[in-house]
Amino acid sequence: MNVEKGGNGQPVVLSGEMYKAISEVLSDLAAKTRAKTIIFADSNGHPITQRGQTSEINIPNMAALGAGDFAATSEMAKIVGEPGRFKYLYHEGEKSNVYLSSVTDNFLLLIVFDTNIALGMIRIFTKRTIEKLTELLNEAKGEEQKASEFLDVEFSTYLNKELDKAFNF
Amino acid sequence: MFINWALQEINLKIVYYGPGLSGKTTNLIYIHHKLDPSIRGDLVSLSTKEDRTLFFDFLQLEMGKIGGKTPKFNLYTVPGQVYYATSRKLILNGVDGLVFVADSQKERMEENLDTLLDLEKNLIEIGETLQSFPWVIQYNKRDLPNAEKISTLQRNLNYFNAPYFESQAHNGTGVFQTLKSIINRVVAHIQANGNL
Repeated sequence: MNVEKGGNGQPVVLSGEMYKAISEVLSDLAAKTRAKTIIFADSNGHPITQRGQTSEINIPNMAALGAGDFAATSEMAKIVGEPGRFKYLYHEGEKSNVYLSSVTDNFLLLIVFDTNIALGMIRIFTKRTIEKLTELLNEAKGEEQKASEFLDVEFSTYLNKELDKAFNF
Repeated sequence: MFINWALQEINLKIVYYGPGLSGKTTNLIYIHHKLDPSIRGDLVSLSTKEDRTLFFDFLQLEMGKIGGKTPKFNLYTVPGQVYYATSRKLILNGVDGLVFVADSQKERMEENLDTLLDLEKNLIEIGETLQSFPWVIQYNKRDLPNAEKISTLQRNLNYFNAPYFESQAHNGTGVFQTLKSIINRVVAHIQANGNL
């Protein structure tokens, strides 16, 4: 995976093995915390995988907003003289809380949980999860799979047909 | 861009850029309104009380499996007003393709130019440039009586000969032509660029 490239908007390419490994780590976190929903996304807001109740929550929108949240507060961090972005963001509601953490510079973990679950527990398990994910992502550095190999010429033909159908051309 | 080989999924980010009130959000509203709900998500708008975009709008298109792959197109707008410069820069992070929505009205030429220069400056900061990046121009508000001639708009704004479309975003004229064109440009750019 091109983990190093992701932060500057370069392609992030996730191999099948890495996807499986990340999914296992998140399943473990979901089981331990009883969080409502867990989303792992890249810093540009593309959701990678999710756990828990995923039908009630709009995953792409949550991931895009989470990435926006981090982007906005990174600028705040700069203004107050922080060396990097904030490590985590926390939003407290009446029924649900949202806990967002940075995973390396290029990914984020978004956890939605009921207010009756202690924040301390979420923090402890999330910290361990982030350590595991960081280790996995660092191991993957150097693995190269190219985006240009993903999309063949046939894909363009099919895509155009589908676009014409969807757009009523 | 984000590719998940396990799921054969590709996520692409397309940003609508342009001066304030040129019609960027109107494009997304029309796309959202016209497309079948099965292939598009909910439209998220982070706007002020006056309905001006504060941070961004977001709409995801997911067309299902195409040739065994699942492409997802994430459409964003930026806030056009001058003082939201930081937000515009943040939203460009990770961009794969751009639609520059220009306001055709004669008196908006200066703002179109300023915003285009602002875009080029922000692209350079992320290591890209308008000369080589996939983008298209949409000349919006063609129905207004004070709309500038296309030849003048082209001469002033389209130095790099990007594909251009005439539009009236409020009634959908040119909206889907623009979207189809940028999607094709993005895909072709990825296919042609072996370094990606």
